[in-house]
Amino acid sequence: MLDATIILQILWTSLATSSYYVLFAVAFALVLKVTRLFNFAQAAIMTIAFYTAFVAVQWLAWPAWAAFAAMMAVTLAASYLLERIGFEALRKRGVSVMFVFVFTFMVSEFVAYVAMLIFGTWPQTIFPTIFWPATLIGNIAISAWDLPAIATTIGSLAALFVFMRFTRVGQFMVGVADNPDLAELYGINKRQIFLAAMLIAGVFVALGMFLYGTRAQVLPQTALSLMLFAIAATIMGGIGNIAGAAITAVVLGIIQNVSILVISSEWQGFLLYVFLFLAIVFFPSGLRLPRRKVRFGTATREIAPEPVAPAAESKA
Amino acid sequence: MEYLYGVIIIVGLYVILATSFNLIIGYGGLISIAHPVFFALGAYASAVLSRDFGVPVPFAMLAGMVVAFVSSIALALPSLRVSGDYLLIASIGFQLGVLEVIKNLRFTGGPGGFTNIPPFLIRDLGRESYVLLVVVVMIAVILLVRWIARSDYGRAMSAMQDDELAYASVGRDAMWMKIVIFALGSGIAGLAGALYAHYFRFIAPEQFEILQSAAILTMVVVGGMRTTWGPIVGALLLEAVPQAITFLHLPPSVLGPIQGLLFTGLVLVFMFFRPQGLVPAVDVWRAPQARAGKAEEFRS
Repeated sequence: MLDATIILQILWTSLATSSYYVLFAVAFALVLKVTRLFNFAQAAIMTIAFYTAFVAVQWLAWPAWAAFAAMMAVTLAASYLLERIGFEALRKRGVSVMFVFVFTFMVSEFVAYVAMLIFGTWPQTIFPTIFWPATLIGNIAISAWDLPAIATTIGSLAALFVFMRFTRVGQFMVGVADNPDLAELYGINKRQIFLAAMLIAGVFVALGMFLYGTRAQVLPQTALSLMLFAIAATIMGGIGNIAGAAITAVVLGIIQNVSILVISSEWQGFLLYVFLFLAIVFFPSGLRLPRRKVRFGTATREIAPEPVAPAAESKA
Repeated sequence: MEYLYGVIIIVGLYVILATSFNLIIGYGGLISIAHPVFFALGAYASAVLSRDFGVPVPFAMLAGMVVAFVSSIALALPSLRVSGDYLLIASIGFQLGVLEVIKNLRFTGGPGGFTNIPPFLIRDLGRESYVLLVVVVMIAVILLVRWIARSDYGRAMSAMQDDELAYASVGRDAMWMKIVIFALGSGIAGLAGALYAHYFRFIAPEQFEILQSAAILTMVVVGGMRTTWGPIVGALLLEAVPQAITFLHLPPSVLGPIQGLLFTGLVLVFMFFRPQGLVPAVDVWRAPQARAGKAEEFRS
């Protein structure tokens, strides 16, 4: 029998699990905003992040903090190499967008096959168990994983906001995202800014995979599905709108979890592809908020969010 | 002898797949990785129609081709309406989504696969006849794609790739041209799927996963895009390598990842060190403006 407690429990669990979806979506949206690149190689970075933590905990028996530190270091190193050896070389060669797409996709698949070869095709988790002790608050079970996960995500988003708004590098990122050539004329080093965006995205990916790997099982191909979720959230949130991507990720995460009430569990995974399809067909420029009227003295004018064109359109 | 026939048929089908994919990615400039899913749709449609509905195999095969053709339009139309870039994203979602559906439906056999597919020609005329059929279809597909590429339509495709804005400014509809190219290439993949299903008589969703996307892409990139011989050389080479690995008698859990590593690794190596492939055409990977010495497309 469906009652308020069950609905509240599903909503709470959805909110908690959407924490890692938000981190992946923000990482994808940030790189897309600054470098104008659909970085499918994010899946490769996610796979590397997870298996680093897995090896540190399960094979080397390191404590959680050391495993996390190692995961962060390796993820940042992988992001650095991807930018410096991969994207920078491609920019210099003036290759087509098609080349970059194929390159990033092949990198993510290459890393997945390396992971398959080393770790096999069965699911793994960072810690031996993914069952966390729960506390009943009211009638809602809140696991020991939930609150730290939500706090991590909120803290990371707040830190990113402060970084983008109040630091020079953050402001340079916004400048490069708006107009890279003009930013360069003003003396901003695009090369460093692209690298900074990749490294920050790497931090978000590492945090997200640590949360995901301590809550769910991971296969070498899992990162691709997680990334598709991030892409759907990024497109629906509006390309170039990082906050929009984060909010959309929460909403999609909740919808996917709540869907268990109306569809059978084996079709739940299919919802991801429905989201992606809807995002591309109906919301290619993101979900638009309804126009609101703002009064300036006696005059009234409509304020609407700035329409955001897809990266490809803006390039054309 | 049966093994040799099997190898010839597999190589022939991959030449068909690589050549039709070359039409899409090479001549059409459309980025999609969903080619194996149209191969799957053709195979499943033909298999289900012939086994469960009693449709004669040749008609079932044509129906498989039509299903792939129509499905590709359903994928390309909304994606290309927005931007060519979205086709790649949509194609990944489409491939994984369709395979998810096939796994969850009962009439497709689910994840266990679809068995007892009716054979075609083999019982009456022997396996040689089926080999001949695949070879004839392969040659027909190669000639068709070659003819398209060298015809007025091919020149229009080339013009569209070089400068889409200029192409549209003379009153040509670039989007419909892309959709036609995509649908034609995908329809051919559907026919290849139907041919596969009625020879091997068993199909399962795992045969059409991302590994197949990597394999077909590798054949075209390594062989050489926008050339007639490139995909043929790529398919022959890339099918020979897995056959050679098979003789190492590695366990399946190792064999699959090694094949995947070979395919993806070769693409990456060729992209950086020999982007024109083994059979070189023009500098196909460079942005059109960069080719003309004006500006780079991927620079920011």
